[in-house]
Amino acid sequence: MQKKSLFKRIKEERVLYFLLLPTIVFFILFRVLPILNMRLSFYQFRARGSWPFVGFKYFEMIFSSPAFAQILTNTLIISFMKYVLLFPFFVLFALMLNEVRSFRFRKYVQVISYLPHFLSWVVIAGIWINSLSLAGSVNQIITFFGGDAVDFMTDRSKIRWILMICEAWRSLGWDSIIFYTAIIAISPTLYEAAQIDGAGRMQIIRSIILPALVTPMITMFILNLGFFLNAGFDQVFNFSNQAVESTIDILDTYIYRIGIEGGQYSLATAVSLIKGLVGVVLVWGTHVFSKKMTGSGVW
Amino acid sequence: MKRKWRFSLSQVFLVLLLFFITLTMLVPLLNILAKSLSSPLKSISMGGLTIFPQDLDLLNYRIVFSHPILVPSLINSIIITLVGTVVNIGLTTTAAYALTRPNLALKRPLMVFLIIMMLFDPGLVPEYLVVQKLGLMGSKWSVILVTAVNVYYLIIMMRYFEKVPQSIVEAATIDGASHLQMLLRIFYPLTKAGVATITMFYAVVRWNEYFRAGIYLTRRSTDTVLQVVLRQFVVLGDTVSILGQQNVFDYNALARADYSALKGATIIVAIIPILILYPFVLRFYAKDVLGGGIKE
Repeated sequence: MQKKSLFKRIKEERVLYFLLLPTIVFFILFRVLPILNMRLSFYQFRARGSWPFVGFKYFEMIFSSPAFAQILTNTLIISFMKYVLLFPFFVLFALMLNEVRSFRFRKYVQVISYLPHFLSWVVIAGIWINSLSLAGSVNQIITFFGGDAVDFMTDRSKIRWILMICEAWRSLGWDSIIFYTAIIAISPTLYEAAQIDGAGRMQIIRSIILPALVTPMITMFILNLGFFLNAGFDQVFNFSNQAVESTIDILDTYIYRIGIEGGQYSLATAVSLIKGLVGVVLVWGTHVFSKKMTGSGVW
Repeated sequence: MKRKWRFSLSQVFLVLLLFFITLTMLVPLLNILAKSLSSPLKSISMGGLTIFPQDLDLLNYRIVFSHPILVPSLINSIIITLVGTVVNIGLTTTAAYALTRPNLALKRPLMVFLIIMMLFDPGLVPEYLVVQKLGLMGSKWSVILVTAVNVYYLIIMMRYFEKVPQSIVEAATIDGASHLQMLLRIFYPLTKAGVATITMFYAVVRWNEYFRAGIYLTRRSTDTVLQVVLRQFVVLGDTVSILGQQNVFDYNALARADYSALKGATIIVAIIPILILYPFVLRFYAKDVLGGGIKE
């Protein structure tokens, strides 16, 4: 049997392509064209006329600037705090939720703890700035116990911890869903068998629940690694201020500042190109690694 | 007996700890709500732990809903969320339908293309220049179109569509159903929960959008969206450009301004649509999760 030519097959299913067309046009306009625009990293930007080629000039500028080294360090530290230090707490939250015996209380905790995930970062920043201000609830509690009020949002030594705790506040419920669903998927017969053997709660957690969490833990952990250069732009963008900028300035806020605010289009694009390429390697790498370790990839 | 007591003690501890965690989420929201509903005379001296309004007064909301910038930005937010979500769902479902048809030629290369588009982020400036070149600066279409399709949601939609039984599709094909009829009469009804979930998620993202609106909708101060005004007001603490020089004076004089209460009212207005959508999100998305505890 002769295989139909590609052209013929497309013609036969032209309605399907017609349905796909808007999406393909979207990707060409707003993804492919920007990717082509990334050549700007090697050219000097001009609003009119052609862009003169400058080679690796902007990359040399980036790699010789002490600001970039600081920003990269900030990015990695903040990512480490959010994605590595915080990681066990999501597992712990799912474990604790599962130990609650009252179904109604469990549901209450879920309904409340998933909510912050759906609030915009502007709203979250508003809430946190309000709570951490000198007259806010946190300082009210501190002064009640005899401590001195702290201006948290402008304290350079505390701001990264605030970012981390706020991330926990926002994601504790939502990001622990993957672990919680893995726990409730455990067959009840396993628990019954353990109870007959006289196992205590801690023993059950150690030898039945935790092993069931290994796969989602590995999946989540390496998924996080793929986002290491992002470090959560929206949060930093809304929590930043003059006083703390130097400690929490990350790649994406830097790109915004030099690109959109500073108008240094070529330099900002060069940073985006570096970030984009490393990002692809990280996500692709974690996908392959995840497939090897757990049998399921990132997508 | 002794063992049972110990067990309950750990339950009490656990419940208290989890209850405290939920309080850190509830109290700040209720506090903002209480302050925004109180008379400015009272709210200025209200602490951060108060959750009941004092001297109920809707002044803050009257200011928000008569404000020359907040009102148009609220309308813009609603338009962008509605039109944007329709565009999102229209493109996502038609693309997901086409991509899950087994006889689609070039399916594999198209999927690879999509994955690459998802993985590689071209960055801010290259996108900005495209929006500029297409003449979309200052138009709501800039924000609507730039985020028209989310590849993650597209893939989730495809997973739902793949579950539609092949036998039903074949039966409909024999009855002479066109692709469009198939999508409208068979796929949408059979994957209602999936389409609703993705709609909800798109709508939440649309409503919460502030970043691109802040870059692309800057021609006139009335072009922008609520989240951008909120950011300027609440995060950057810019009261003058929000209220205007004269209004700052009037507000101070009239009401002995408590800006934090006015900020609170703006925050509440920005949260309300999310609170309206939230039960539906929970019902569709977390049904399995929330119901999961029943089995014992």
